[in-house]
Amino acid sequence: MGLVSYLVFFLIVVTIFGILTLGLNLQWGSTGVFNAGVVGFYAIGGYAFAILTAPARPELIGNLGLPWVVGIIGALAVSAVVAIFVGLATIKLRGDYLAIATFGIAVTIQLIALNWEGLTGGSLGLTSIPRPLSGIFTTPLSYNLFYLALTAGFCLLVYWALERVSRSPWGRALKAIREDEGAAIALGKNATSLRLQAFVLGSAVMGLSGALYVSFIGFISPFDFLPIITFQVWTMLIVGGSGNNKGALLGTLIVWGLWSASGTLISKIVPATYQTQGGAIQAILIGLVLVLTLLFRPRGLIGEEPVVSRHVT
Amino acid sequence: MKWLVGLAAGATLVSAWSLSSQAQAQTAPSCPVKIGGILPLTGSMGPVGKRISDSAQLAIKHINEGGGIKGCPVEFVLRDDQGQPTVGVDAAKYLVEVERVPALTGTVSSGVTLPILTSVSVPSKIPQISCCSTAATFTTLAQEGKTGGFFFRTLPTVKTQAYASAQIAAERGFKRVAMIYINTDFGTGMVKDFTRAFSKLGGQVLKTVPYNENQASYRAEVNTALAEKPDAVFFVAFPQDGATMTREWISLGGTQNLILNNSLRSPEYVKAVGARFLQSAYGMDNASVSSPYVEAFKKAFQAAYNASPDGPGIYNQYDATMILGLAMNVASELNGTAIRDAIRKLQDPNGTVVGTGPEEFKKAMALIKERKPIRYSGATGPVEFDANGDINGAALIWTVKGDQLATERTLTIEDMAQVFKKIDG
Repeated sequence: MGLVSYLVFFLIVVTIFGILTLGLNLQWGSTGVFNAGVVGFYAIGGYAFAILTAPARPELIGNLGLPWVVGIIGALAVSAVVAIFVGLATIKLRGDYLAIATFGIAVTIQLIALNWEGLTGGSLGLTSIPRPLSGIFTTPLSYNLFYLALTAGFCLLVYWALERVSRSPWGRALKAIREDEGAAIALGKNATSLRLQAFVLGSAVMGLSGALYVSFIGFISPFDFLPIITFQVWTMLIVGGSGNNKGALLGTLIVWGLWSASGTLISKIVPATYQTQGGAIQAILIGLVLVLTLLFRPRGLIGEEPVVSRHVT
Repeated sequence: MKWLVGLAAGATLVSAWSLSSQAQAQTAPSCPVKIGGILPLTGSMGPVGKRISDSAQLAIKHINEGGGIKGCPVEFVLRDDQGQPTVGVDAAKYLVEVERVPALTGTVSSGVTLPILTSVSVPSKIPQISCCSTAATFTTLAQEGKTGGFFFRTLPTVKTQAYASAQIAAERGFKRVAMIYINTDFGTGMVKDFTRAFSKLGGQVLKTVPYNENQASYRAEVNTALAEKPDAVFFVAFPQDGATMTREWISLGGTQNLILNNSLRSPEYVKAVGARFLQSAYGMDNASVSSPYVEAFKKAFQAAYNASPDGPGIYNQYDATMILGLAMNVASELNGTAIRDAIRKLQDPNGTVVGTGPEEFKKAMALIKERKPIRYSGATGPVEFDANGDINGAALIWTVKGDQLATERTLTIEDMAQVFKKIDG
């Protein structure tokens, strides 16, 4: 039972990160928008959810105690609105310039969360965030099975929706912009507007992921949103295969699996007296596997499917 | 999506296997007995976490040399949280569900300890002892009954330091104090408790100014605090940032009546600021009570690692691990709830005192076998948890004499109890 219970827990985290990676895949994989501030939108979704649903406390102006569904919708809406403003200001920047701008914005968001104590609880964070239907289930395992169904459902829904849109004319226009923006503009596509649309939609998906994470853990603090999350999500997308939604999900499973399995492996094979050094070995191991993947599978484990007109035989 | 289906099928197979293997494991404690540990071994807290984990390993060695747990040798299963909440929570879940550890010790950052507590320890009813997490949130959660009594920590809360500082500020006759503090749970906790205590003792905190770490200058923060013209200023900071702001404070004409928190009790800080500016400054720190057991721990650590144990969390982690070792022997069976209740039995006022090291552990084992009460006096002195799993400790007042750090006096646990009584009523 123990292993099943752990696997369920592990898969909940994978599906939540999976949604986050799908959001990035829409931005980078499909459209070529270099968002290096993934964690910022993840944080906005998480905080929006926590502030809307957590039970009231006298020292906080938020903590509205609203129902779970309102929290989820609010998280989507707030991250979309923030993405519109961030996008309007930055979307015309290209490549690495956009990366620097979005990275800065993510750090800013984290610092706002740390300093706006009246709303976010500052460094103490917000506690007692409700888990949906938590009264009904008696054991941690049965609850986690339910929550896995929920996150997997959201993950599949997002996957299905993104598959649909990426095969639509809109999705093809995004790819055209990614490949050759000048040509796309020459064909009459409004590149800036399309890039902004992809950025906002992707960021809203990231916000959803943040809300599901916070609702699962029941606690939020600025320490949940360090820049390393952005790095992990990028790794997931690149290892799995940028431009392919299946690749994004597979990459999430593999990279997060590697992250936790390497910890287990170290605690099993390294003798007790060297356990203290085990953490460093784990970091090296993770890095090594990632470098090898990139060397031998430069397009990721499952790369983008070639898009060829069905009229060509 | 075939891989998802494959994964589900795999999980089902594994569950069938683990069900059949579990059926045999229900009888008497199976050797070795496991204790789970989660500490930051890499990441920004890595340098601190490594020494702390050495201390935990030393305690495990002493437990094993002293007879283990219920006749079994102890295995310490240590996982790295990398300073990242998601990683820490995953590791904790693995330890509890797959390794089936009945108790956990960890971790350092409150931002990691808290999600582990709320999403793993409390739902699975596993006691968790932290060496180093200072956030006031744990106390609040315990008061609201949300920890189920499963959380303990072996370092005095920020309150001890805050109350001691307030007491000395009042004794020195300060009436108006400004604070510049690091914006973490530690800093905000200090501000809250100091303000409360100082106003009860007749003083007034005029202004509290938060700062964010690693900046080149703190002129803006210093000016805000300076505008209030306080009798004294309280810096809650780490050495590097603290030195920068102290220099700016003094060069802008601020008072040299400085109150300093424990992290600034470092020669680097004194050197960076200049000792001659610190002659009327004082600070406080958690004092380890002098006892033969404290000395025994110091010697053992020195011998094992050829390094001094004087660093953050090292004494506290030893106690956290030893307490688990003792409590698991006292507990009638090795499950979380029994161990939680047994932890409370290690502070019997009529009990025989047992200390640190393998010999003392052996002595404790003999007493437990005869069902005699015991009282643990560890590397940090006597350990007594209150209803919320917090402990109160002794405090020490330090100053700068010439260009050296000096200890002015110690406020013993009894002294502190009086201060607490005066402030909290």
